Amino acid sequence: MLIIIEIFVNLLLGYFIFGLLFGIYFFIKGAFKLDELIIESKWTVRLLLLPGAIGLWPLLLMKIIRKTTTK
Amino acid sequence: MGVNYQTVLWNRNKKIYDRWIGLSMLIYLISFIGLTFITNVQTSVETLIIRAFGTLAIVLLHIILVIGPLSRINTRFLPLLYNRRHLGVSMFLAALIHGGFSLFQFHTLGNVNPIYALFSSNMDYNSLKNFPFQVLGFFALIILFLMAATSHDFWLKNLSAKSWKRLHMMVYFAYALIIMHVFLGSFQQQPSLWSTAILSFGFVVITALHISTGSKERKLDHIKTTDTNEGWDYVCDIDEIPEDRAKIFIVDNERIAVFKYNNKLSAISNVCKHQGGPLGEGKVVDGCVTCPWHGYQYLPHNGQSPPPFTEQVSTYRLKLIDKKVYVSPKALPEGTEVDPVIFNN
Ligand code: HEM
Ligand code: FES
Repeated sequence: MLIIIEIFVNLLLGYFIFGLLFGIYFFIKGAFKLDELIIESKWTVRLLLLPGAIGLWPLLLMKIIRKTTTK
Repeated sequence: MGVNYQTVLWNRNKKIYDRWIGLSMLIYLISFIGLTFITNVQTSVETLIIRAFGTLAIVLLHIILVIGPLSRINTRFLPLLYNRRHLGVSMFLAALIHGGFSLFQFHTLGNVNPIYALFSSNMDYNSLKNFPFQVLGFFALIILFLMAATSHDFWLKNLSAKSWKRLHMMVYFAYALIIMHVFLGSFQQQPSLWSTAILSFGFVVITALHISTGSKERKLDHIKTTDTNEGWDYVCDIDEIPEDRAKIFIVDNERIAVFKYNNKLSAISNVCKHQGGPLGEGKVVDGCVTCPWHGYQYLPHNGQSPPPFTEQVSTYRLKLIDKKVYVSPKALPEGTEVDPVIFNN
């Protein structure tokens, strides 16, 4: 059981560390690729979106990749 | 609805509501801490913070969960619905302080990662009664985090309304986890009859409200018109629709709203493009159908949001024979212009 917990906690940690890295990319560039309305919006909007980007990075990464490859 | 995103959509009313939320939370916390000091002097500050914010979060969660059904029963609750988003974020922050302090208080003493300690300090995973209740709180907090983090309109649009809705429906799962978290926690420490009773009462109220409004909704789904006239379905008499309001009908398995305004009748889809709010429960304000949930607007004769907005819903053809309103059940493409039926009072 302890092993399972250890693996789970490390996965969770990894998920959020990667999320943080993705969040930085999202703040600088990714948000613009996903939605053009961001260009007209203030930078504080992207700051507010950061937690969501950190929490849902696999979904957003997929969406950004799909959007840039179909263009 | 918009040409750019705002950090927070505030208007005068929302600011007033937010001030009320903030003030009520403050009053709650002060009363809770004050009462505990009077009745139970030995409580440590950390425990006090943990309890005050934990109970605050669950009170807010109950309010959030009753707003939906209440505003279907009585439209006077609708303003609360508009503001539910900020209430949700406030609830998450209260829960975060509670969970954060608990983690800090109980799990940072050793030299292992506190999350690991949270999962491993009580290993009774096979027991029903001694199950590690904090783990349940942890998972609930993760769900609440994802919901609060995606509460901005940006997410609604970019995650697609469907996945967004699915994510936010998880609030019920989080609620179940929290109920177990609190019940188990109180049984394993010192069972308090009061908090158990209050929580049970809250649970019963929420369940009953959801069941009763759910069955009302299902009844609406079964209203079918039987009176048809050369492909037109009879829906109601013109007098049954109040001025500047609508009646909702099901035709061809779709919900439509028939609006009466300015001696005119128009029919559009009942489903708002924003989050599927019931347009037919809204009013015509300044010539626009205004969604009761968050105020998106549509012109009744073409289903289009007034410029610069771009949302569109389907429209339907109507005709009036004597006082009977008939609708052509075929939905026209979203945003199709339809001449309103004009009548004389
Ligand atoms: C990481 C997540 C969490 C941890 C570690 C945690 C920890 C705890 C602990 C240790 C207690 C017992 C406190 C005591 O009686 O002294 C408790 C009780 C409680 N928790 Fe949590 N919790 C978490 C998440 C949540 C969430 C998300 C909610 C609700 C939104 C919540 C609501 C409550 C409530 C209402 C109580 C009962 C307070 C009382 O008995 O006075 N908890 N929690
Ligand atoms: S559902 Fe949000 S405005 Fe209609």
